[in-house]
Amino acid sequence: MNAPSPALVASRPERLRLVGQRRQILAVMHQRLMFGMLVFAGVVALIALRIVWLAAFGDHAGRKEGLTSLVPERGDIVDRDGEPLARTIDAWTIAIHPTKVIGDKLALARQLAQLMPEHSEEQYFALLRSGKPFFYLRRRASPALVEAVNALGEPGLAIQREPDRLYPQTSLAAHVLGYTDIDGHGVAGMERAFDDRLSDPATRGEPLVLSISSTVQQALEHELMDAMSKFSAIGAAGVIMDVHTGEVLAMTSLPEVNPNAPGSATPDARFNRATQGVYELGSTFKPFTVAMAMDSGLIQSFGKQYNCPDTLPAYGHIVHDTHPFGRVCTVAEIMKESSNIGTAQIADQLGEERQRAWLGKMGFLGPVPIELKERGRALTPGSRWGPFETMTVGFGQGIAVAPLQLAMGYATLYNGGVYHPPTLLKIGPGHPLPPGKRVFSEETSYRMRALLRLVVMKGTGRKADAPGYRVGGKTGTAQKLINGRYSQTINITSFAGVFPMDDPRYVIVVMLDEPKATPETYGFTTAGWNVAPVVSRTISRIAPMLGVRPDRNREPDMSGVLPFVHESHGE
Amino acid sequence: MSGRSFRSVFMVASCATAALGCYLVSLRVASERAALEGVETQIVVAQRDIRVLQTEIGTRGRLAQLERWNAGAFALSAPSADQFLNGSFELARMIQPQHKVDFQAPVVLASAPTPERKPAIGDAATDETGSAPVSDPPLLHQASLKTETREVPARPPATSAPAGGRTSTDKPAAAAKPADKPSVGRPGLAAAKPKKSVDKPVGGAAGTVTRPVRIAKTDPLAPLPGAPSHTSRDHVSDR
Repeated sequence: MNAPSPALVASRPERLRLVGQRRQILAVMHQRLMFGMLVFAGVVALIALRIVWLAAFGDHAGRKEGLTSLVPERGDIVDRDGEPLARTIDAWTIAIHPTKVIGDKLALARQLAQLMPEHSEEQYFALLRSGKPFFYLRRRASPALVEAVNALGEPGLAIQREPDRLYPQTSLAAHVLGYTDIDGHGVAGMERAFDDRLSDPATRGEPLVLSISSTVQQALEHELMDAMSKFSAIGAAGVIMDVHTGEVLAMTSLPEVNPNAPGSATPDARFNRATQGVYELGSTFKPFTVAMAMDSGLIQSFGKQYNCPDTLPAYGHIVHDTHPFGRVCTVAEIMKESSNIGTAQIADQLGEERQRAWLGKMGFLGPVPIELKERGRALTPGSRWGPFETMTVGFGQGIAVAPLQLAMGYATLYNGGVYHPPTLLKIGPGHPLPPGKRVFSEETSYRMRALLRLVVMKGTGRKADAPGYRVGGKTGTAQKLINGRYSQTINITSFAGVFPMDDPRYVIVVMLDEPKATPETYGFTTAGWNVAPVVSRTISRIAPMLGVRPDRNREPDMSGVLPFVHESHGE
Repeated sequence: MSGRSFRSVFMVASCATAALGCYLVSLRVASERAALEGVETQIVVAQRDIRVLQTEIGTRGRLAQLERWNAGAFALSAPSADQFLNGSFELARMIQPQHKVDFQAPVVLASAPTPERKPAIGDAATDETGSAPVSDPPLLHQASLKTETREVPARPPATSAPAGGRTSTDKPAAAAKPADKPSVGRPGLAAAKPKKSVDKPVGGAAGTVTRPVRIAKTDPLAPLPGAPSHTSRDHVSDR
């Protein structure tokens, strides 16, 4: 055993070595197998863990699939009765990726020109060869067109649905609603004023409720449009307001924009004459002067007399009247015949200080208080406000206000004397009525009713009467300032009315810009001939809808004015 | 031995079964939830479709369009103050029945008292009060009352006698001027056209009763005695 034979020594180590090697190899194999298995198991575990992680905390964790709620891309705008005025819908859009077109481009251009003839074949072909990545061919395409384009089978054509703003009533209340740009942001009207609220995901689910009533709006727009074309006026504006809350039930400015295609509108059409434009509205201002004088105790009775000569020289100027009295007349007569001379004397007695203070309280000296961003600012004599300016402001010259401001002033005067800022949002649970400020006394407000009713019963506004609805109002014919001079022929006519006069509920202001005379008006272009009939027709249409019952037997208390009207004059 | 050796296998099998059962339950829950979500999605899609359709209907029937249709076809206008009523009484007053005299109806003589009369004849005491000659005139008088409303215009015929017994009773009320007679029938139309006022109550049915009326009427209208038959009578028969 001490020295092994060479054969044995030679053979045994051979076998032993083999066995040892095999063991080693086996061990290595086991190791490798184990390692591979571990790696495999690790990968599987990793994947499993990842899946579990994703399931628990991933993007889709706990999220429901598909649509779960109907929140539009941009909030709806509805009128006070819930009728939609602006909505966002999914519209079809046809676009093209010229680089991805694989078919014959010339043939495609030909087919496109047939389907969408707004461009010619050559234009389509040039577009396809331009190498640009993307073009819109048609937005808001009709389903039939989409089907036809889809049938072309060209993979380069992209047909998709995109949110699009639609105004179902087209141009109705266009200046109130405004419109949006191509990206869906409001650029005018309420769309602009409430852009944040309409696009915020938290609030856009609830529609924006306006104070506008679409039926009233339609009646006003139709009647105004009618008058505008009949008298070839260059523009018109109208406002109907709730006297007690300041809610604007209808507001229009003509010519109008179609908010579905705002790009085609002229700058004149985009201009909102009801809130942006300020006009010298003339005699419609006179009731304010009388009310101020009454409230400050200068006029105790409508029988108070003023000397009304044919012309009134005052402070280096001369005041004229269209129908001079040439005698002593009462306040009732001054208002009935819309005398500048009489009103100027009342304003003179009132004085600048008081006049300015009252106009300020009524909101006539600042910007138009309304939600819209398109709003003007009243023009006043400013630093030149002297005794003569006080007289002219008294009868509505030298002060320019927006029609909406005028409506607001009448609302203040006839709702019992309390000022409420006008609003385009419905007064209700989400938008309570703000507290008002007292401007005129209740007594003045009550007594002024008879004066305004007198103008429609017997004065310049007779054509504005709607039988049974007790309309009261005042006409206003103002000469237009052209190149710094008052034109003798070009007018702005307006009418401010309140109904029913025995318990005022609504105020209506209409205005025509540069109406022309027609045979029916016997050559006149004054307010009594052109805007007063608009008021009559509009009130006959809207009053039943607003719940005002016509009654021929009801009238406001006229005993304060009728005894002071000299009937033989001008009748 | 065998039970012991297979115990682990049973354990594994029962664990697997339990796990599978739990998994099936959760799978079931998940599938129910998915189905519910599917229904919710369907509801939302349906609501969206309704919205789209409402928008389309609203756009097609927009107020401007209705106004255009109204101008072109319907021509509806705002109601006037007279078209409003204060209540059911005013409404009822509008449909008050008009007095219509039916000439075709048989003349029913008031023959009711006949049973009373028989005993009256028998009794000598009641003979005076309820005798035949006394009771007859009232019956006749009633028949003449019916025509009286119509015949009022006929009174003028002062000259013509053919009217008979009935017209003679009316005579006291006769008026010489045409304006007076129609006022009995219809005050509104009376002054303008006396003939028409006669028409309305007559209603086109002109029996024998009307004939004397026409002849009588000519007298005040036409001063000429020769032309009595054609003026008013033609108009009456026209209507």
